[in-house]
Amino acid sequence: MTRIHDTTSRRQFMKVLGAGAGVAAATLLDVRASHAQSTGPVKVGVLVIRAGVAAPVGAAGLRGTEWWAERVNKAGGILGRPVQLVVEEESNPKDTVERYRKLVLQDKVDVVVGGISTGVTLALGPVAEDLGTPWLSWDGTTQKGVEETMPNPKWAFKSVDNEVEAIVAGILTPKYFKGIKTVAGIGNDYSYGHDCWESYQAVLKRYIPDVKFVLELFPKLGVTDFTSHIAAIQQSKADLLMCSFWSGDATIIMKQAAAVGLFKTMKGVFTTAGGVHDSLKKDFTPEGLLLGYNTMYFDDPKASPLLKQFVREYKAKYNEYPPYECDHAFFNAESYKVAVEKAAGPAKKWPEKAQVVRALEGLEIESLSGRRSWREDHVQMCNFYQGITTHKNGYDFVTIDPIEMVSTKQAMKPAGSKLFEWINGWKV
Amino acid sequence: MDQRLEGVAVAHAVNVLLSGLFHASVLFLVAAGLQVVFGVQKIFNLACGSFYALGAYVGVSAVGWYVGAGGPPALFIVPLALAGLAVGAVGVVVERGLLRFVYDRDETFQLLMTFAIVLMMEDAIRLTWGTAPRSTGGLYLAYGQVRLFGATVPVYNLVVIAASLAIALAIGWLLARTAFGRIIRATADNREMAEALGVDMRRVYAKVFTLGTALGTLGGALVIPATAAMSEMGIELIVEAFAVVVIGGLGSMRGAFVGALVVGILRAIAISVYPELEMLLIYLIVIAVLVARPRGLFGGAAA
Repeated sequence: MTRIHDTTSRRQFMKVLGAGAGVAAATLLDVRASHAQSTGPVKVGVLVIRAGVAAPVGAAGLRGTEWWAERVNKAGGILGRPVQLVVEEESNPKDTVERYRKLVLQDKVDVVVGGISTGVTLALGPVAEDLGTPWLSWDGTTQKGVEETMPNPKWAFKSVDNEVEAIVAGILTPKYFKGIKTVAGIGNDYSYGHDCWESYQAVLKRYIPDVKFVLELFPKLGVTDFTSHIAAIQQSKADLLMCSFWSGDATIIMKQAAAVGLFKTMKGVFTTAGGVHDSLKKDFTPEGLLLGYNTMYFDDPKASPLLKQFVREYKAKYNEYPPYECDHAFFNAESYKVAVEKAAGPAKKWPEKAQVVRALEGLEIESLSGRRSWREDHVQMCNFYQGITTHKNGYDFVTIDPIEMVSTKQAMKPAGSKLFEWINGWKV
Repeated sequence: MDQRLEGVAVAHAVNVLLSGLFHASVLFLVAAGLQVVFGVQKIFNLACGSFYALGAYVGVSAVGWYVGAGGPPALFIVPLALAGLAVGAVGVVVERGLLRFVYDRDETFQLLMTFAIVLMMEDAIRLTWGTAPRSTGGLYLAYGQVRLFGATVPVYNLVVIAASLAIALAIGWLLARTAFGRIIRATADNREMAEALGVDMRRVYAKVFTLGTALGTLGGALVIPATAAMSEMGIELIVEAFAVVVIGGLGSMRGAFVGALVVGILRAIAISVYPELEMLLIYLIVIAVLVARPRGLFGGAAA
């Protein structure tokens, strides 16, 4: 805050000085500034979660962005300008908004990418609109619960709606698990966990009208002992357990459930556990669960050469297999590049920020996971990958076979509609 | 009630009770570390949760190394416990390197210092082991499962419960029957008098803090086969350990034992009967204890 004030007052001082020395001097200063902006490196501000439960997700997003930047720079940059990443931390909404302002006002970045927690991105949306620099969100929306708060943004580009993977799982559940009558649910005790559970129930009820939801558990984010929750789930005698955990807690509940043989009698749907897919070891993760990988499945036999190259290099560098956040991050950065090139036109003149934004609207490009696009109202469109867990692979963790691919065209509420009205209007 | 239904009810009761005891066992070890340090050094050590996380990560590495070297899986608990104990030595470093400078400072300053240690340890763990959750894979089930009154129980959970109980007894013996225990109790009771009688406070503080640290690291190492290590796993536990010591009475070892049992078992019952009450119930009890017995169930006793 102080630093920003400092810069502002210094700039004001310069302006006064400029006025004193004559209008010509001030104009000269301005010209230099804009000249520097379109020839030096393209500055890409990156907001990354560094601490807490979502730190691994943040790390994956940053890795995806770094891989993109290296690749672009090797190929000569964007319109000949090299890419430079300016990384700041995403933490709580208040501090992140300050860092966002710093990126735009002080570092003078051309675009900001990143944002994972919707708690944070809800606050970033209006700030991005205010500061007039494009912001492309990896994984955060501007939804309050399942309701959109910014239906017509100018500068903010948002992730897919949070509840999409629960909706996809709801669509796939009746296809793979016949005769389900009772369902228990467990999710983290915050917006994502509750929204996923509500949406999953709404969808499943459309396919199985007499299904009963017999138990719902919402432990806090960060809990590492679910033995008591599992005792309650066993007691519920549900036919199926739906779980929307996406961090280490998914690994833990899998392990502790296996230890009491929970999935010997119960079916399991893990909408988002693909986020920690390589920690789901075969030792304790059974075959036959429905497992969601969000928008990118690293082991897709139909993967593009781009994805195959990325997976290979990611494994070589980090000794891990990449999760979906890499794809969100790659898509955001790459779509910015393509939009700049498109807006530049044949003259290859560096476009204004507003021109870039217009070029992004409706833009479809090749991302790691395949074709992805921006809907006209600035929401990501993509495919979701889910499937049935299998041990038949060369890894020590589970993968999926068959692989189901469901588009946001089918599983995300259309612009301007209300989620539950939309679901209840489906022809099933 | 017909017999089959009765059997189901018994199995569920066993499940709930054992899951509560399992949770209580881990809570006890962390809370015991908190208590022994507070009892003697009068420092409320928030870093006890970080030591727990550190023990968990070192445990994962030790077991990984052991299995990689071809050690028989059935004996994995030996390197695990040894690693958990050994890394407790980090307590000496923290006490001599940081804490001893704040003994005479304000309590809030001490609290801030231990919180700074929490943040530093979280970063150190992330730098060393990376950000992804780490686990010991399938070793959790190396000892198999048993059927108890119709409930399936992983034997390893029983091992953790037994180990925690054994450690509680060992601490009781240490405090009540050994010369070191008498010195600890004397120091907790009246530091000046103990010092006047020739107790070397520097050594006692270093030893006590290391003991407190080792209880945390051992707790983390013991629990890790049943869960997965995450760098922030300590924070969650500090909050619950805090409830344990308020219920049991700050500084009391017996209080830590009873407090952990109360919190662990009531949490399990709440989750199974009325899950919305999970955390609330614990705090309701904390409030009730604070109103009825402000010093906790066993407060006032030295150790």
